[in-house]
Amino acid sequence: MAHPDEIDNALGQLTAETEIPVVPVQSISRPFMLQQIRGPGAPDVRNLEGDALIVGRADDADIRIASTALSRRHMRIERYQGGYRAVDLDSANGVYLNEVRVHSAVLRDGDTLQLGNAVFIFHEGK
Amino acid sequence: MTFLVRFWGTRGSIPTPGRATYRYGGNTSCVEIRVGDSLFICDGGTGLRELGVDLLRRSNCPIHAHMLFSHMHWDHIQGFPFFAPIYRPQNTFHIYGTYPGDARFHSLLSGQMSSAYFPVDFSDLNAHVVPTDLGDHGRRDIDGVVVRCFEQRHPGLSYAYSLEADGRKVVYATDNEVDLTIADPQLPLRDPNAPRIVPAPFVEFCRGADLLIADGQYTDAEYVMYTGWGHARATTIVDLAVQAGVRQLAVYHHDPMQTDRDVELKIDACRARALRFGSPLFVFAAREGIELKVD
Repeated sequence: MAHPDEIDNALGQLTAETEIPVVPVQSISRPFMLQQIRGPGAPDVRNLEGDALIVGRADDADIRIASTALSRRHMRIERYQGGYRAVDLDSANGVYLNEVRVHSAVLRDGDTLQLGNAVFIFHEGK
Repeated sequence: MTFLVRFWGTRGSIPTPGRATYRYGGNTSCVEIRVGDSLFICDGGTGLRELGVDLLRRSNCPIHAHMLFSHMHWDHIQGFPFFAPIYRPQNTFHIYGTYPGDARFHSLLSGQMSSAYFPVDFSDLNAHVVPTDLGDHGRRDIDGVVVRCFEQRHPGLSYAYSLEADGRKVVYATDNEVDLTIADPQLPLRDPNAPRIVPAPFVEFCRGADLLIADGQYTDAEYVMYTGWGHARATTIVDLAVQAGVRQLAVYHHDPMQTDRDVELKIDACRARALRFGSPLFVFAAREGIELKVD
């Protein structure tokens, strides 16, 4: 039977301790996005930037949907706790988050938002 | 008056942070209900901490809130010592008992802040945290909102609350093993699809609610393993909601072992049951961070 020191020596020859420089890895970032999958203008993808944006049928809406099923200023998407939340701006037809009518909601990756006949999917950034 | 109802904690028993509970949330019981200018807080589980942060962010004005506790088990009070507004002198919190002179909840809340459990003593809180009660018959008008309580089936007892104003009604009914109160508790095992008859007094308490937030911790399969633990089958509260003519049912107090996918499957089963009864009831999972408008 081999002496333990001999085994250690043999293993040491298999994998020698070496100074290995750790390679810095640049983190891959991806913006928060709102992907429109149904309704006028679909398909479309918008990056979410800034503190807030308005979705509605008004000419000056940040995301304009040409549909009378939407109010002029229908929903605000605003920054919240490092992510985004959706707020219904007292629209006539409401904001539905995964089929639930909400007044406001902190958004999670993959959530579906329906405003009138327009449907969006929220994609979380990183 | 419009009711705004926001979920700050929807998990039962113990906080469950992590990826598996990312969508529906890991904080324990806490619901904010604003009726006009009045603020009601149902339970003080770990979700209460984030409500506190948000309240301070919203405004510098003094906070005046009415706190309604279902009971004092950990998952309903653990957020209280971390509720930042209780450390500000301009704020006032009314802690409601359920009968005249009942200061149990106020006293138990202060007990959890004794030095063995927490570094800040209850007597050192800067806010006014005062005991009060719902008066005779567990019913009181608070700022034009009629608040009622109802004793529920739970180890050590628990209470449901209904809030009514201007023809709108929201019921908060968590930690209630409705299954042990139905006409024939063995019936769901013999015939899972048969209607489960909930006792009339509780049905009447929930009657016509625009929103019922109710303990639906377990799936049918889970309930068999945890009968007597004080929580309901989600499918049974569908029967309650249908019998009471409720408009929307928020299934609440999700089991800590349930992942987001499990919660969704639980809701699918509830919706299928409501559909079988031909009911227009809308069922959804209570989810941290959503706010509903009841008007």
